[in-house]
Amino acid sequence: MSELRQIAFYGKGGIGKSTTSQNTLAAMCHYYGKKILIVGCDPKADSTRLILHEKAQNTIMQLASEAGSVEDLELEDVCKPGAAEFNPDENDITDGYIMCTESGGPEPGVGCAGRGVITAINFLEEEGAYDDDLDFVSYDVLGDVVCGGFAMPIREGKAQEIYIVMSGEMMAMYAANNISKGILKYANTGGVRLAGLICNARMTDREYDLAKQLAKAIGTQLIHFVPRSNHVQRAELRRMTVVEFSPKSDQALEYKELARKIIANDLKVIPKPLEMDDLEALLMEFGLEDGADEAIVGQKEEDIAS
Amino acid sequence: MFICGHHFPASEGNDIEFEKVVEKVKQSAGDCSGKVVTLTGETTKGDVVVTLEVPEGTFAHSAFVDFYNQSEDEREAKMVYFTNKYQISEISKAVDGEITEELCKNLDDMYLYRVKVV
Repeated sequence: MSELRQIAFYGKGGIGKSTTSQNTLAAMCHYYGKKILIVGCDPKADSTRLILHEKAQNTIMQLASEAGSVEDLELEDVCKPGAAEFNPDENDITDGYIMCTESGGPEPGVGCAGRGVITAINFLEEEGAYDDDLDFVSYDVLGDVVCGGFAMPIREGKAQEIYIVMSGEMMAMYAANNISKGILKYANTGGVRLAGLICNARMTDREYDLAKQLAKAIGTQLIHFVPRSNHVQRAELRRMTVVEFSPKSDQALEYKELARKIIANDLKVIPKPLEMDDLEALLMEFGLEDGADEAIVGQKEEDIAS
Repeated sequence: MFICGHHFPASEGNDIEFEKVVEKVKQSAGDCSGKVVTLTGETTKGDVVVTLEVPEGTFAHSAFVDFYNQSEDEREAKMVYFTNKYQISEISKAVDGEITEELCKNLDDMYLYRVKVV
């Protein structure tokens, strides 16, 4: 039996983190027979809907609120097996199996979202959710704010390898760098490592160059560049992953390749986050169109043309 | 880390020298002489907008032959991962020089490429 690997997908809100993680994890199951537990750690609770073919799963926080407290819950109340091919044998954890749970969060404007993550992970551990038969536990975590709650999966020896979903847009790169700072903080005490950047491409100018250079600068790798594709949205509207919807499509093959790399990945590093000035310099050096330099700052398009 | 689909052990770090990649790719591709490598670039709607032949004897030629041989795409013209086309372009610019300059300019775009080897 292989050792359980605890991984996490972090990224700025709206970057396509849940879509990327679900499609990649689905590919790890569909093509390579891996057995996975997904722990959604985003208050939106949308980290498992494509695997479950549902709108949104009842979250641990929601169920705890209804039951009175989290102590009143059983593991079966909060964990659901994936739909269709992700639950090949209804009783046992067999090849290609996915189990799903969502931490959830408080009502908007009330309480602390990160607390839901802490409560959920503690509950899952205490109830024995991390079964020995699993190959991977995957956390899907919001990374705009790396507060104590959202940093929970990278603290105390939980997730060991972190994949940051980003794009060539400035704020996505800023968030990626910020998440690296969070990893650095806990690298020595908890053993967490940065395992790579995944560029969920917006298909903007020189996006590969930017993502690659950021990865290189912070000491990691750009593990895969995932192109934009209508297949992703087509599958999402059917509440399915791309590998189920169209397993031989170009996009499914992209996720298959990313899945292969994650399974074989051994480059796990303590990151070297950039200072803000260095990040800006990197954006200027690799993000600008050919022939442009820092002199364009504040310039209107019509001024450049003249 | 992974370059052109090949795994380089973590002990080699995150900045692999191009020479090492070239060596690994050429070894994996084997004898590429006489093979005609054709690329087509297409829009998201599948309209082919560019057709290119990769110059024989270059790193890019070996890399695309290698990619074609390793690909699990069952179609005759195999989809090239975006990651790989950008990596091949980056290395080809450095080691092939002018001979693949135009090819690399195309590979740096946002079209999806398919490769056929005859």
